[in-house]
Amino acid sequence: MEPLIKVRDLYKIFNIGSNKVYALNGVSFDIYKGEFIAIVGTSGSGKSTCLNMLAGLEAPSKGVIQIANKRIDRMNEAQLVRFRRQNVGFIFQSYNLIPSMNAIENVAMPLMFRGIGYEERMKAAKHYMKLIGIGDQGMHMPNQMSGGQQQRVGIARALVIDPQIIFADEPTGNLDSHTTDDVLDLMKKIVSEEQRTMVMVTHDPHIASWADRQLKVVDGHIVETVINESSPIEIKIKEENGEPPFCVVTPIN
Amino acid sequence: MRLCDLFKLALSNLKRRKTRTFLTILGVVIGTASIVVMVSLGLGMSQMMLKSYQDEGSLTMIRVYESYERSDSNDRNKQLTELTDDNVERFKAIDHVIEVSPSLDVSVSAKCNGAEGDFTIRGVSQYYLSQLKLREGGEIPKKDQSELSLIYGNQILYNSFYKSKTYESAEIDPEKDTVFLTFPTSSYSDKKNNSDSESETVKKQKKYILPISGIISGGRDDWSENSYSAYADIDSLKRFLRKLYKKALVPNPRTTKNGKAYTYYVYDTIYVFVDDMNNVKDVQKQLADMGFSVNSNMEWLESAQQQLGMVQMVLGGIGGVSLLVAAIGIMNTMMMSIYERTKEIGVMKVLGCDMSDIRNMFLFESGIIGLMGGIAGLFISYLISFFINFLTSDSGGESVSMFIGYTDGGSLSYIPLWLAAFAIIFAIAVGSIAGYVPAVRAMKLSPLAAIRNE
Repeated sequence: MEPLIKVRDLYKIFNIGSNKVYALNGVSFDIYKGEFIAIVGTSGSGKSTCLNMLAGLEAPSKGVIQIANKRIDRMNEAQLVRFRRQNVGFIFQSYNLIPSMNAIENVAMPLMFRGIGYEERMKAAKHYMKLIGIGDQGMHMPNQMSGGQQQRVGIARALVIDPQIIFADEPTGNLDSHTTDDVLDLMKKIVSEEQRTMVMVTHDPHIASWADRQLKVVDGHIVETVINESSPIEIKIKEENGEPPFCVVTPIN
Repeated sequence: MRLCDLFKLALSNLKRRKTRTFLTILGVVIGTASIVVMVSLGLGMSQMMLKSYQDEGSLTMIRVYESYERSDSNDRNKQLTELTDDNVERFKAIDHVIEVSPSLDVSVSAKCNGAEGDFTIRGVSQYYLSQLKLREGGEIPKKDQSELSLIYGNQILYNSFYKSKTYESAEIDPEKDTVFLTFPTSSYSDKKNNSDSESETVKKQKKYILPISGIISGGRDDWSENSYSAYADIDSLKRFLRKLYKKALVPNPRTTKNGKAYTYYVYDTIYVFVDDMNNVKDVQKQLADMGFSVNSNMEWLESAQQQLGMVQMVLGGIGGVSLLVAAIGIMNTMMMSIYERTKEIGVMKVLGCDMSDIRNMFLFESGIIGLMGGIAGLFISYLISFFINFLTSDSGGESVSMFIGYTDGGSLSYIPLWLAAFAIIFAIAVGSIAGYVPAVRAMKLSPLAAIRNE
C-alpha cells in the first residue's frame, strides 16, 4: 500500500528579529488513503504550521511534501491554488462561510471556482447537504444558523469537490461539547463511509482520540504517535504493509 | 470561473455595501456628467459656428479672383490669370469640382417710390442660382428666357435705398413697386466714330424696368453672402448688356494695347463648387497654384475651429479633473473593501479560487461602479444639456423642439451619440484602471488570513 501523503524532514523556520524560531523542526511521516489523522499539540507547538504546509498555504523552509506523487513544496502559488481546487477540502475553525451567500451557494462555491455551471453545482451541493443532514437549510443565510449548522455547511463545502484529502483546522474549536461530538461523529462517518482522508489539527486530546491515528507535536517535533488499534483502516494497513505507518518519533529529552 | 459567475459575485459584493457603493458611483456620476457637459458645450459651440458659416454662404464654394500680384509681371501670365471662359473650363476639369460659375457684375443705380439706391447685378450660372434660397413664390430665372429678370437680395429691400432729400434709409418692395434701373455709361468709346458715343451717352440715361423673379429668403435681420446683390442668369444678362454696350460687351471693358476692347468676357469673380467640405482645401490649393487669388468660407471656418478646439480641450480638462477625483474615490472604496474582506479572500484562495479570478472579481466591481456611474452621469448630462439649451434658447416656448432636434437658434450644448458611447466606455475604463491596483493587491493577499482566528 502506497501512502497518499509523504512528509520528509520538514522544517519551518521563522526569522523574528535576529532570532530563528523553529516552528517545525524536522518531521517525517506518511499518511494513507482513508485515514483520519489528528495532529495534536498545544498552541505554538507547530501543529497548525504543519497543516498549513500540507495544504500548500505556507511554503516550507526545508523538506519534502509529496501528495499523490506530486511535490507540492515545489509548486508556485498559482499551481498550489489549482492543486487545492482539484484535491483538497478545507474545514475552518470559524466556519468562514461567505456572509452574502446562502447555505447552498456557500456549499457550491468551490465548484463555481472550477467553472461548473449553476444547475450542476447546485445539484451537487444539495446532494452533500442532504448527506450531512442539513438538506432543508439551503436557503438560510449564515447569520441565521447556529454554529453547529454553520460547521455542517462548512463540511459539506469541503466535500462537494470530491477531494482526495480534507484538512480541518480545529473544526470544533467554536462549538459546545454536545455539538462537538455530533460534528466529530459526522466527520468520522464520512471518512469511513466515503473513503476520504482527513487531517485534523486540534489542541484537545479528547477530540484527537476520535482519530484513527494521532501525531502529538511538541516544539516542532513529533513526540508520540498513537494508533487506534481497533480502527479498520489501521488494521488493513498493518496487514498489507506488515508494519504501522511510517513516522519518525523524537521522544522528549 | 465563468464570467457570469464572476459578474454575479461582483454585483452581490457591491450590494452588500449599498451606501458606500452609491457614494462612489455618485463621484463617477459627477465626473462623467462634468466631462460630457463640458465637451457638449464645446461641440455645441463648434456646431453653432459651423451653422452660422453655412448661413452666411456655402462651405463648399471657393471664390476665385484675379491675382494682382502677378498681373504686372508680363502679358502672358496676365492672360492666363484673367478670369475668362477658358479658365472656367479649366476649373471644371479639376477633381472634386462639380460646378463652376462665373460672375459678371454690373453696378446699377435704381429709383423706387422716390427713394434712390445702388446695387450690383450679378450674372451667374443656373447652378449658382439653384443654390440660392428664395422666399416663397420666387423662382429662379430660366436660362433661355428672352427677358432679363432679377432675384433681389433680401438686404436690398431694407438697406440699399435712401430718400433722396433726407438720406434716411428707405424700405422698398420690388414685388409691388416699380424699380427703375439705370445702367452705367460705357467708359469705352470707339475712336473711329465719336459721334456715335454721343448718342450712347443719351441712351445711358434710359431707365429700365426689369421683372422680378424672386427674393432671397430672410428678413431684415438675416445676412448672408447673397443678401446685398441682385442675381440674374448670366446668359440673359450678357444678351441684355450686348444691346446696351454693343462690341464693348460690358460698361468698363479691358482694352488691348492698341485701345480695342476685349472681344471676350473677363469676369470679376469665378465661383467654384466642390463636392465635399473636406475637399475644399485641396481644390483651393490647386487653384492658388494656378496663379489665382482664392478664398473660401471653409478657410475661415478652419482657423476659427482650431481656436475653438483649444477651448474644447480646456473645457474637457476641467471635466477630466472631476473624473480623476472620482477615480481616486473608486480606488479608495476598493482598498477599503479589500481590507474588510481580507479573510473572505483568503477563504476563497484556500478553497481553490484562481488568483486571476480574484483580481477579475475586483476589476468587475470597480468596472460596474464605472458603468453605473457612466450611465447615470450620461443621463444627468442630457438633463443638464437640456436645461442649458432651454435657458439659452431665444424663447422658452421653443424648448419642445429641442427634444426633437436642432432648432433655428442652434443648441449651445450638443451630445452626439459618439460622445455618449465614449462617456460610458471611458467611465468603465476609469473604473477598471482605478480598481487595478487594489485588485492586484487582493490577488496577492495570503490565504493564511483565512486561518487566523481573531
